[in-house]
Formats: sequence, structure tokens, C-alpha cells
Amino acid sequence: MKKEKINKFLSHIPKNALIAFIVIIWIVPTFGLLVTSFRPVQSINSSGWWTILNAPVGSKEYAANCEACHGKRGDLLPNANLGDPQLISKFDRSVLLLPALKKEINGAPHMQDIPVPSAQVVADIVVHLKNISGLEVRPKVTLNNYIDALVGYRGTRTYTQDCAEGTPPLDINCNISDLLNPRGMGRAFVNSLFVTIPATFLPILLAAFAGYAFSWMNFKGRMTIFAILVGLQVVPLQMTMVPISRIYAQLGLNATFLGVWLFHTGFGLPYAIYLMRNFLGSLPKDLFESAYLDGANHWTAFTKLAIPLALPAIASLGIFQFLWVWNDLLVALVFLGGTKPVMTYQISNMVSSLGAGWQILTAAAFLSMLLPMIVFFSLQRFFVRGMLAGAVKG
Amino acid sequence: MKNKFWQLIAVMAIFTMALAACKPAATPTMAPTTAPVEQATSTTVVEATKAPVVEATATEPEGPAWCSGVTKGDTISMLYQWSGQEEERLNQILKPLVDQCGIVLQPESTRDQALLDTRVQAGNPPDVAFWNVTQILQYKDSLKAMDALGANKDAYIPGAIDGGIIDGKWLGLPVKSDIKTIIWYSPVNFEAAGYTVPTTWDELDALVEKIAADGNVPWSMGMESGDATGWTGSDFIQDIMLVKQGPKYVMGIIDGSVAYNDAGVKEAYEIYGKWAKDPKYTVGGAAGTLSTGFNDAILKVFSDPPEAYMVKQSGFAGGTITTQYPSDQFGKDYDFFVIPGAKGLQGGSDWMMAFSDKPAVKALVSYLSSPEGGAAWAAAGFDLSPNKAAAGNYTDPALIKKAAAFYSAEGFTPDIGDTIPGGFSSAEWKAIVDYVNGGDLDTALATVAAVQAAALKK
Repeated sequence: MKKEKINKFLSHIPKNALIAFIVIIWIVPTFGLLVTSFRPVQSINSSGWWTILNAPVGSKEYAANCEACHGKRGDLLPNANLGDPQLISKFDRSVLLLPALKKEINGAPHMQDIPVPSAQVVADIVVHLKNISGLEVRPKVTLNNYIDALVGYRGTRTYTQDCAEGTPPLDINCNISDLLNPRGMGRAFVNSLFVTIPATFLPILLAAFAGYAFSWMNFKGRMTIFAILVGLQVVPLQMTMVPISRIYAQLGLNATFLGVWLFHTGFGLPYAIYLMRNFLGSLPKDLFESAYLDGANHWTAFTKLAIPLALPAIASLGIFQFLWVWNDLLVALVFLGGTKPVMTYQISNMVSSLGAGWQILTAAAFLSMLLPMIVFFSLQRFFVRGMLAGAVKG
Repeated sequence: MKNKFWQLIAVMAIFTMALAACKPAATPTMAPTTAPVEQATSTTVVEATKAPVVEATATEPEGPAWCSGVTKGDTISMLYQWSGQEEERLNQILKPLVDQCGIVLQPESTRDQALLDTRVQAGNPPDVAFWNVTQILQYKDSLKAMDALGANKDAYIPGAIDGGIIDGKWLGLPVKSDIKTIIWYSPVNFEAAGYTVPTTWDELDALVEKIAADGNVPWSMGMESGDATGWTGSDFIQDIMLVKQGPKYVMGIIDGSVAYNDAGVKEAYEIYGKWAKDPKYTVGGAAGTLSTGFNDAILKVFSDPPEAYMVKQSGFAGGTITTQYPSDQFGKDYDFFVIPGAKGLQGGSDWMMAFSDKPAVKALVSYLSSPEGGAAWAAAGFDLSPNKAAAGNYTDPALIKKAAAFYSAEGFTPDIGDTIPGGFSSAEWKAIVDYVNGGDLDTALATVAAVQAAALKK
């Protein structure tokens, strides 16, 4: 008995190890991005996110080389007070500090019997000296990236710094109204919701109608039309951008939410119809026939029978369509662009054309992931059921 | 109900198929000629009728000259590649237009040129676009002439607008210029190591050898930049050609009279390759050149301790340095010198082109080519402006020095890759990557020369 259990446990190890491995591969980069989004830009550029728990740069080197004479806070020697920012500003680089360390003081070497350290160690000590003297204090974690992303800050420093010094960039008022700045993620979040909710609802509604009709209504050419509709999935979205944009220009639908809703509905429908028809078609025939016998018309059968039974399929379709529209950049860029910026558009514009300001992008990316994660986790039990819905005919 | 439902589905199916089938008709030549005309006229008619009747008395007398004809609330849709901090600077420059004329800007930003193509082909172009010089040629049939929009030729330094003149028509306004023929270094590191700024190419060569002999690394040449990897190298190689051959030779490559596999080009590649492939001369050797991001490469020169002593990069590098090292001062911690011996500078411009001639666009064009516009551009610190009035209005010390080099230059050559159309720049970058990677130079150059010949044949 016990042996069997152990054997069973051992036989599962390779499978579990593989799953753990895949999970780690997927999670590590995301986790790294999350950590990075909380670090100040200077730290991001100079060291990896995994160093966030290390001791501050230079503190160990300082303890080994300088602490014995200068003290922990650097103020032990009154005529060489390392806590004085003015003194440190004269030695703010290793090439400036190194000659001072090699000099003799009162006839004895500056470093006494400790050998003069390498340039890298001296550079680390300089970072530590700047920190304890207050010349350049660099926090380990900061919320600045998130604040800058939310308010759409476009300056060269940070929103908090600029506002504290009273030199805000254009369109920034340094108060709560900044959350509605058209260039910020806050405003874009609202726009994204405006685009996504109807663009998810419409195709599902139409597909539910169509799915019911293809399954339970008898008319000529049913299968042919169904095949054509499903076949429309092969039309590449990119190919239709120019012609549709031309039509929209004539109808005045460019840069309107309605235009994007229609576009997403059109391209979401073939797959949605396919999935709904397969799910509804797999429901027991007797169920519907008894309903018709009891006098139900198609509308009653659809609302009272088909829709409640198709909830898992609808939920999974909802997740698919929601994630696709939420993460879409191309359609939003072509048909909405900067007039009604959505989150993906806003993220792509956080960085300048030469890569400046990319630390804000890390925070912006996480802000845009929030809602999809909530949707996914709240609907995921439908998701697994729904995935099987289209695949297996009962 | 059944029938209607069916009609709807059928109509949608036919509609979608018809759209897919329509695609071949939407060729670039068709779209711009039909649709935009209609759009432009409809908007101008609205402007024209609205302006005099409603607010003529209220808006016309006040405000500067460029506001004339503009009604408060007029919009300009703009499409450009700038974003982030660059967008902030542009907004500062255009603020007078917004404040004094009441123009509402509708900016859109993307680095995807396909979006601009889509919009133009769909007959739905932005009122103005800020893009590269090649797009002026590409969209020449849809663009409005600058003189008709109120632009002033004499406001620009000589030769600056030449790239915007196609078939005798002035179609593009140069707005933002940057010089590329410069080398960034750290004076404090130079002083500590006993190096001096070279004044001739031979001195530069000797300095590189001296730094290498000291056991230090002279160059940081990283050029990784996604699918544009190689552009840093192409800038460097063009600069070497400016030193060794001069601007006429470079212009010869652009107009096709000098083939890209000529001996002078090969010599420049070999000088570049000698440095870019050897860990003695550049951080990380060939692998470092190919895999280090161009922004990281800049920082390597100013880190402590420095990983290298010089980096060749355009004017924007100053911003990269001050973001990472906010307390660094220009002139002490970082500085640049023009590549010694270069005859003429390599400079690039971003161009404004107009797809509409409505009054608000006229206002924008006349503002940008006015002395006030040039001065505002300089004060905003958005690189350099080819507008004469920009001189003397720069506030940032690095820009002041750059402007001095810009205005005293013997002449300019545009970036070869930006100027030759037809995928030339990608071919050029690929050749550089292949060469640094250890590929055969003659083969690489012959491939580029073929692309060059094909692109310039038309």
C-alpha cells in the first residue's frame, strides 16, 4: 500500500516538474517586469531587477575600506566629513576620488595598510558616499513610474519632482484633474472600456441569434450559408483596412467608436457563429422538440432554453473577444488613433522615438493588464468548459 | 422576423466578401486622386462659409498675422513619429498657435509608416504629417505646395529646403534638424587619463591607438535597435566617408553616380570594421557591437568607472545621458566634438507636409516659417531648427554648441539611408550587421549596390 503511494508519487514527478518548468518560464519575465516597474529609471538602466534585494551599492565596499577611520556615517573625522555634500561633490567620480586615495596624509598613506582598491570598487564607494551625504539619494522602490503613466507625464524627469518644484510641463495641473489628462492611462482606460464592452457584446448577441438559427430553424441552404460564414474567417483583417477606411471616410465613421465596434463585430462574428452553432447544435434535440410541442415559438425557445444552456459558451466567447479587443492596437490605431486613445495606443506612445522614457512603459503595461486579469480570473471556470464546448460534439 | 434576420445575415456576408474582393482596386494610385479632393473641398467650404459670417469681426483684428482667416475652434489633425518627451516639446512650440488663434490640435503619434500609408490610400489623410524626406516624394501627388500655404523660403538657412522640392514644387517644410557627425566624450575622464580632444582625423586615429595601448577601450559602438539594428553603424560609416571622400562623394551615392560597392565606401567600412570588430577598440568586440542597445552604448562612456572613452552618436545622446545621470553637467561630465576632418556635416531633418490647405494649416505653415516660430522651436530645445531665426534662441548649453557647429558647417549631406527609397536603408543595415558578424565585405556591399541601383532607376 505504502509502496504503491510512493511509486505513484515518483511517477508523477516528471510530469509535475515539466508543468512547474513551463509555469516558471512564463511567469519569470512578467514578474521581472513587475519588479522593474517599481524601480527608478537610473537603477533600471544600471542593474537587473533581481538585484533589488541586494545591499545598497557600495555599502559593503565602504565598510571594508573606509568605515574604520571615517565611521559608519562618514562624520567621524571633523576635517574630512564625508557627510558633507559639498566635499563629496568634488569627488563624485572614481577618477576624481582615486588620486585622493593614493595621496599621502601627514606622511602616511591615505588608506594606511589597506591596499588602494580597484576603480570599480572606488566607483561603488562614490555611489555610497553620494547616498550618505544626501548628494544623490536613489530610493530602491518608487511609485513614480505608475504616477507618470497614469497622468500621462511627458517631461524629462518625474511628475512628483516637477510638481514639487512648481515647473510642471504643459497640460499638467499638479492636482487631481491630471488623472483625466487625455495623454494619461486613466483617460485611456475609460476609452478602452468604451471600445471593448460593445465590441464584445455585439458579436456575441448576433452570434447567438445566428447559432440558434443554424441549429434549430429549417430553411433552404442552411449549411451552405453556414459554411460561407465560417469560411469568412480566412479573410485577413489587415487586407481590409484600406477599403473599410475609405467607406468610413465617406460615411463619417472614422475616429468614432461606432466604426470600431462595427469592425470588431464583423471580424469577431465568423468564429463566434461557428462556436455558438456547434454548442447549440450539440444540445439534445428532444429538449427543443418538447418545447415546440408545448407551444413555444422560436423566440421563447431561444431566450428560455438556448441562452441559459449556452452560458458557458457565451462566457468563453466573451473572454476571447474581450481579450482580443482589449489588446488590439492595429484596429484602434487605424480607426481611432490619437483622437480617442485607447490603452494600447497610449502605451506605445509612452516612449520617445529614440527610446527615452521606457521605464514608464513597464508601469503602463501592468496597468493595462489589470482588467483582463480580473475578467479572466472571474470567468475562468466557464473558460475551461467553453473551450471544450466548440470542440466536442455531444 | 425570420426573413429580416436572414436578409441581415445575407447582406453582411455579401458585404464582407465584396470588401475582400475590392482590395485590388484600392491601389495607391487610385485612392489619393479621388477621395481626398472631395474631403478637402468639403472641409474648406465649411470653413469658408463659417468664418466670415459668424466670427469675422471678433477674430480678424486681434492676434498675429498668421492667425488671419482662422476661426476659433478650427482643428488641425497631425500625424507624427514623435511621442513621449518629444511630444511635450512640440506642444510647447505650437502653444502660441493654440493660445492666439484658438486652433485645436488633434495630434496622433505612431512610428508605423503603414498607418500613414493606410490613411492616405483610404482618402483620409491627416491635415499635416511630420515625417521623413522620402515621404515627400512618395505622396507628392497628394501634397499641397508650401508657397501657396504661406511659407517663407527666405526664412531658412541656404540649402535647407532643397530636399523638399520635388519636380520644381516646394512640398515639404524642414522643421527639426539634428547633426550626426559628432562624438560624445567625458571631459573629466579625458583629463584624468591625460587625453586631449583631437583636431584632425590623424590625431583621432592616434588617440584611439593611444587609449587602446593604455589598456582602455576607446569606443562604445553598440548598435542594437530591434529591426533597425545597424543604423548607428551606417551613420558612423557615412561620417568616415565625409572625412575621407567629402560631401560630393556622399551626394554621388545618393543620386546613384557612385555605386555603393565603390572603393571609397569599402575603405570606410574597413576603417569602421577595424574598430567595431575588435574588443581592443570597442566594448565587447563584434558581439558587443551587435548586441548592445544604442542607448546603453551611450551610457557606457559616462558610467563610473567608464567602460569606454568615446561614443559616436547624434545630438539626442545628451538627453540619454542626463536622464541616467541627472547631476552630470555639460562641459564637465559630458561634452562632444565634431568629428575632426569631416568636410561638411551629416544632418537629418524631419519634414512637415500638408495634405490640406484649410486656413488652420496655412496658419501652422506661416507660423513655423516665421521668425517667432523659429525662435520658439529653439527655446523649446527640440533639437535644431533650420529656421534662421532660431539662432541665438537656444537655452540648453549642449544645443548652443550644436547650433554653432550647425550654422558654421561647410555644407550638409542627408543620411544616405533616409534619402534613397525602396528599402535601401534596411539593406544597408543588414550589410553592416553581416560585415561586423564576420561576413564577406564585397558580397555585402554588392547586395546593397544592387538595391541602390534598383531604387534609383525609376
